[in-house]
Amino acid sequence: MFPPQIPGNSPFPFGGRVVDRRSMLQRSAMGMGTIGLAGLMSTPRSVGAAGPALDSSVRQPHFPGTAKRVIHFFLNGGPSHIDTFDPKPMLKKYEGQAPPVSLATERKTGAAFPSPYSFKKYGESGIEVSELFAKTAEHIDDIAVIRSMYAQVPNHEPSLMLMNCGDSVLSRPSVGAWTLYGLGSENQNLPGFIAMCPQGLPIKGSSNWQSGFLPGAFQGTYVDPQHQTIDKLIENIRSPHASTSMQRRQLDLLQSLNSEHQQQFADDRLDSRIQSFELAFRMQMEAADAFDVEQEPEHIQQMYGSGVHARQTLIARRLLERGVRYVQLWHGAGQPWDDHANIEKNHRKLAGEIDQPIAALLADLKQRGMLEDTLVLWGGEFGRTPTVELGGDGKSQLGRDHNHYGFSVWMAGGGVRGGTVYGTTDDYGFKAVENPTSIHDFHATILHLLGFDHEKLTYRYAGRDFRLTDVHGHVIQEVLA
Amino acid sequence: MGIRWTRYSVVLISMMLCQSAPAQPEKQAEKTVTADSAPDAAPDAAAIEFFETSVRPLLISACGDCHGAKKQWGGLRVDSRGALLKGGDTEPAVVPGKPEESLLMTSVRRIGDYDMPPENPLNANQIAILERWIAMGAPWPVETAHGETGNPEDHWAFQPISKAAPPSVATAPDWCRTPVDAFILSKLEAAQLSPSPPADRRTLIRRVFYTLTGLPPSPEEVEEFVQDADPLAYEKLVNRLLESPQYGEHWARHWLDLARYADTKGYMFGWEPNRFLHSATYRDWVVKAFQQDLPYDEFLLLQIAADQAAPDDAVAQGAMGFLTIGRRFLGNDHDIIDDRIDVVGRTTMGLTFGCARCHDHKYDPIPITDYYSLYGVFGNSTEELVPSSPPTERGSEAFRAELEKRVAQLDEKFQEYRNKISDRMRDRITDYLIAQSSLESYPDIPFSQIIAENDLFPVYLHRLDSFLRRMKEAGNPIFIPWHRYAAIPEEEFAQRAADVTEELARLGPEQVSPAVAAHFTVPPASMNEVAERYGALFTEVTRDWRTLNEQAVQAGTPAPTALPDPQREALRQVLYGDDSPCLVPNESLTGIGTFFATRSELEDIWKYQKAIEQWISDSPDAPAFAVRMIDKTLIDEPRVFRRGNPATKGNEVPRRFPLIVAGPDSPPFLKGSGRLELAQGIVSPDNPLTPRVWVNRIWQFHFGTGLVPTPSDFGVRAPEPAQLALLDWLATTLIEKNWSTKEIHRLILLSSTFQQAATGPEDLTVRRQAEEQDPENHLLWKKGVHRLTFEEFRDSLLKVSGDLDLTVGGRSSTLFSGGDSNRRRTLYGFIDRQSLPGPYSVFDFANPDLHIPVRSETTVSQQALFALNHPFVATRASELAAQITALQNATPAEQIQMLFRRIFQRPPTPRQLEMSLQFLEGAETQAQPQLTPEQLAWQYGTGAINDDAKAVLNFQPLPYFTGSSWQGGASFPDPTLGWAQLTAAGGHPGNDHNHAAVRRWTAPRSGTISIESLATHEPTEGNGIRCWIFSSRHGVLNRFLLHHSSQKISLPSLAVETGDTLDFVVDIHGSLGFDQYLWNVAIQDVGALAGTAEGGPAEKEWDSTRDFVGPATGMLTPWQQLVQVLLLSNEFLFVD
Repeated sequence: MFPPQIPGNSPFPFGGRVVDRRSMLQRSAMGMGTIGLAGLMSTPRSVGAAGPALDSSVRQPHFPGTAKRVIHFFLNGGPSHIDTFDPKPMLKKYEGQAPPVSLATERKTGAAFPSPYSFKKYGESGIEVSELFAKTAEHIDDIAVIRSMYAQVPNHEPSLMLMNCGDSVLSRPSVGAWTLYGLGSENQNLPGFIAMCPQGLPIKGSSNWQSGFLPGAFQGTYVDPQHQTIDKLIENIRSPHASTSMQRRQLDLLQSLNSEHQQQFADDRLDSRIQSFELAFRMQMEAADAFDVEQEPEHIQQMYGSGVHARQTLIARRLLERGVRYVQLWHGAGQPWDDHANIEKNHRKLAGEIDQPIAALLADLKQRGMLEDTLVLWGGEFGRTPTVELGGDGKSQLGRDHNHYGFSVWMAGGGVRGGTVYGTTDDYGFKAVENPTSIHDFHATILHLLGFDHEKLTYRYAGRDFRLTDVHGHVIQEVLA
Repeated sequence: MGIRWTRYSVVLISMMLCQSAPAQPEKQAEKTVTADSAPDAAPDAAAIEFFETSVRPLLISACGDCHGAKKQWGGLRVDSRGALLKGGDTEPAVVPGKPEESLLMTSVRRIGDYDMPPENPLNANQIAILERWIAMGAPWPVETAHGETGNPEDHWAFQPISKAAPPSVATAPDWCRTPVDAFILSKLEAAQLSPSPPADRRTLIRRVFYTLTGLPPSPEEVEEFVQDADPLAYEKLVNRLLESPQYGEHWARHWLDLARYADTKGYMFGWEPNRFLHSATYRDWVVKAFQQDLPYDEFLLLQIAADQAAPDDAVAQGAMGFLTIGRRFLGNDHDIIDDRIDVVGRTTMGLTFGCARCHDHKYDPIPITDYYSLYGVFGNSTEELVPSSPPTERGSEAFRAELEKRVAQLDEKFQEYRNKISDRMRDRITDYLIAQSSLESYPDIPFSQIIAENDLFPVYLHRLDSFLRRMKEAGNPIFIPWHRYAAIPEEEFAQRAADVTEELARLGPEQVSPAVAAHFTVPPASMNEVAERYGALFTEVTRDWRTLNEQAVQAGTPAPTALPDPQREALRQVLYGDDSPCLVPNESLTGIGTFFATRSELEDIWKYQKAIEQWISDSPDAPAFAVRMIDKTLIDEPRVFRRGNPATKGNEVPRRFPLIVAGPDSPPFLKGSGRLELAQGIVSPDNPLTPRVWVNRIWQFHFGTGLVPTPSDFGVRAPEPAQLALLDWLATTLIEKNWSTKEIHRLILLSSTFQQAATGPEDLTVRRQAEEQDPENHLLWKKGVHRLTFEEFRDSLLKVSGDLDLTVGGRSSTLFSGGDSNRRRTLYGFIDRQSLPGPYSVFDFANPDLHIPVRSETTVSQQALFALNHPFVATRASELAAQITALQNATPAEQIQMLFRRIFQRPPTPRQLEMSLQFLEGAETQAQPQLTPEQLAWQYGTGAINDDAKAVLNFQPLPYFTGSSWQGGASFPDPTLGWAQLTAAGGHPGNDHNHAAVRRWTAPRSGTISIESLATHEPTEGNGIRCWIFSSRHGVLNRFLLHHSSQKISLPSLAVETGDTLDFVVDIHGSLGFDQYLWNVAIQDVGALAGTAEGGPAEKEWDSTRDFVGPATGMLTPWQQLVQVLLLSNEFLFVD
């Protein structure tokens, strides 16, 4: 006779395990353990609670996943696949003339434009990689390159939304938000989903890591790694007006008042809020620690190298180690990889900034035994044309236009079959021809590695059950170990 | 028309029936179809056997993976006869008895729009099986239902509202104060539960204050109410609050969540200003509408069609922000329209149309055709910027004169472009005609490609397509040959063109224009050649017309009005007439961007539009403007987009009201776009959804959960609520009381149900029973506890510290930047949908891109971090502490008493008093330098700047203060921020253009200021510095280079609004070295804006040298610490 629970109200639409927060508290005598305080954000079914009750406590996926956490190198602007992971020697043959395949992209392009970089076979798998990612390529036997990705339109904004949120137009939750919704976070003292981008935001800003219709708690927290002090990294992490001892005394009084108040009402939300202050108090210290790369030994710091990209990659490893679920590392503000002109020089510079940190991360995760359950992703929102971009005067710009018909991404660790190449583009790298792989397929595979059936990880909103892959997506079995 | 009706109703009925209960209703569907199509005998045993052995296995193996129970590509499934008859998206897949008309057959033969199955074509034998089966009438055995729900048309929410008398109750008739109580109590009785005792008066006044105004009462208001012996005291209180502007503001915010309100357009191209001119107009209109209790039907009518419902009421035009403050989706019309359909459907009727953009709704009886009916309504409407103030308040004469000047400049430029663009189209008419046969290669999705002047413009191709369709329907003699030839399948063209040519020759001049016929005496070889012949003819006509015009100019005679030859004149009309596809519609730029070349032209024309918007936003005395929708002059009938893809257009659909509400005979809209008729249908007393949805929302905002817990989805997935009778009673009452929202408030707020305590029944056994039996309190045996929203929390902090600025209405400004200058209600915070400041999302603010019917409610440590560490909270604590400690002749105990009253509206318990005193005694103290308001107006930071900068980007305060300078860190230069430094006298820029030194001043109030500035660069070495003065409102005020030189600047008068910033910026010129400088700035407030609440004489002045100061590092005093603790307490944040 009672109205049934709104499906969206259940935090576990996929049959996860609910940890009762009270019993959890009782079990851990000190109040908080290092594992997540289940129900930190929960407002479970308390009377009058208007919205869905969702928290970030650890939850079990549909089946045991091979990956527990994700790090995504996002080369925003669109890295050229032809100059990195998809060699196209045929372009040489057509240099100076239009290749047999030429498709309409955002701007006009002309003759075939062979890669100015040299390619070489790496590892036992012998996969060819360009000199731009020579250091990363040393790990090629841990990497599965997908050379047949395709998106929908040759524009940054919709393609960014598609790659990050599974829909090029509508406001939908990002992959990180879905992951946090599905798995919760293992460290309640840090945000479970962190997006770093040096010196400002990529285009579309925080929409790239939005929670959409999922609760705000699942949204990515933006951090600008160019800052060195913790209070610049995370909002309100330091008090400008109280010392730690002062705050401790304040919190003691606060908790006395709260417990007196709580006796009148049986409402779990009161309890959650009491705990959140204690967590915030400790987070001030834990966060400072997590972001402080100076604590790393000298040889580790050297391994990652210098510069802001090395720094953010090393921070990312420290965060992953502490149980942060999803980290996205953007290359920089705006769209740095968008080389419509002078691609040779620019791509070399950009790759030079991240090749060593990426290689270092793969090696570092491996030596810590973390690579096996950390999924590493690499890619942009699309690739670039094998033809040269023409300016308004019809002259070559020595750059490449956007190309959504075919491009490369790669995955490593976390149950990915290393040393794999999946799919191909045509002889010129214009269009995916063998095993064309949609972004939805890519997402379905990510979710699969995390332990989810992408068709069942759903959230009820606007009258229907939404999922990351909408009505699409196939798990790419060939890249699974 | 008649035929179309039948067909549509058949599709609808069969769709609805087979989705829900395949067995019984499917038979009906078959019958209906039978009457309309082929004879259809009951399947005999042989037919069934053929089906089972040959057809069904083939359908499953060849089609089932993509068109089965699990997946329905293109909306099609092949696992029931009904589904095949319905087909995917729009067209039936199977027409029983008619293989040649069945899409299934053209698809498997790979001769139609689809080639199916995509990868492994069927062999001839398999195709023959399907053909034979369809020819047999597509026999299919009768199957039994498999547990689906009933007919969606029977869903409770679609039934007429029935007003039942409130039930009689046995246990406590006296408890019932309004009829609401009888409904609640009777359910409680049935469950053998009882309500809670009434809440005490302190609790009650706090509760009712929050639910109506979002603010706490003052201690005085509480005392007065507690002491008031009048039995009507509560009712009077409710009425008083309902009249307050704060009620309007609070309830407007509820509405703005639904209307996905924001002050910006979202991600946009650089040429278009990002800020809405009219968002505040809309917000203020909603506030007023609530406060004045505008009848809800009128409230909706104006928001959707004020242009027609109240064309002469300028203020009412502001209501249409409801449609026009959504995201702009980079100007993509299809998405903008989708957003409008979604927000209208869900807000007003709890119907989710969004799903039907690509296919029939999976659950609800909303076919894809309903979606495109609505698409046609909004697609035939366009935007218009209009004043939204009474005619007597249209700004100063100077304002109007300049505005008119700028509008005239835009008009002139626009006309110039219109002519140029139309001529360009005429010049390439041949190419456009040729491209008609490959329309799908030119998707009309704006800006997916950069369109240069010499490209074919997709928008013209599609306009030409609809023009040709109109001509076909009208039987226009110019285009008869075109359409006859176009009807020949491509592969038969060569063979049949001669026949068509002969036929044409037999037609008289009435049927075929002789001017055209003359070109088709010889059969064309291909459709391309047809296009070329037409093109040559049109090109000739254009040339003639231009020559004629030139001759007139040379001869000084009046411009010609027509070509002398009527036949040729008729051809000219195709290119120049009002209906010509060559014309650029005279509409707002927002709707016609695709007519312009992407880069050069569009950017250029927007400059003129921008100048208008800039002038309005820069003028403090500018009146309110609205962006309303008006109907287009030329109405285009909408066509279904298959799978939502505008490149694959299907059948035309009439614009009309959704069938589930209006019934299968829903008549087409007749007036313009049909928007007014749509709005009228929504508020029609016969529409059961609108009033139900609204009273449910009111209930939800008072109790936390609606009687229907999915307030924006009343579709078939929303189960019938336990209190349907109450919902209906409220809905009927709403209509009876002239759609008065306030009447519904009173019925709810004056009820015992609302006034009961949040603690539960006093008797513990009864309470336990209730907790066990109904732990979620669905039956309302107690009042739920409400947690303050983001707005309520911030507003309450301002109110208890005595700082809340209750000014109503006006432009938005950012909440937390600019020191502590923004003390208005959170409603007036500037909402940038593209980059919402952290606190909004941390505190579960409604996502401004989406219709949000229920906010999520999370408790995360970032909220606690904000409360503990953000200066806003500490400042409130300091302000309140200052007032408490200033109380003369009061003991600390008395001061604490007062403090508790201010914050909790009650005195402390003895234990709390004791704890507070102890806290004060033992608290840490530290000397506390207080900053003056003048000092607080300045900030010291760095930012990025480029050669033609309009503003500083990425302003970041310098993090370290040495005692005499702000800089990057203790060591200087700093590893990250380099040489960037600011001192009392001047400073030094950072090492590159990303680290200019920025001294920022923030206006603490609106008004007019003057600026005196003296900047000096002394060294002779190096190459000097670049200096800028930026205003956040006016852009670049000044820029100059200094090298061994000085510059003095006086600006006698500059208009500013609260929160505006002025940046005094220096960066390196050329290279780093010898760049230290001196710069003094004096700002004087020369008068607040006349007529504003902030009025008053000028008296403030700021001096960059005098005001220079370090951070407000002052640690909180014991009193401030105590106040902060109380402000963080659960009691402050929860309302019981």
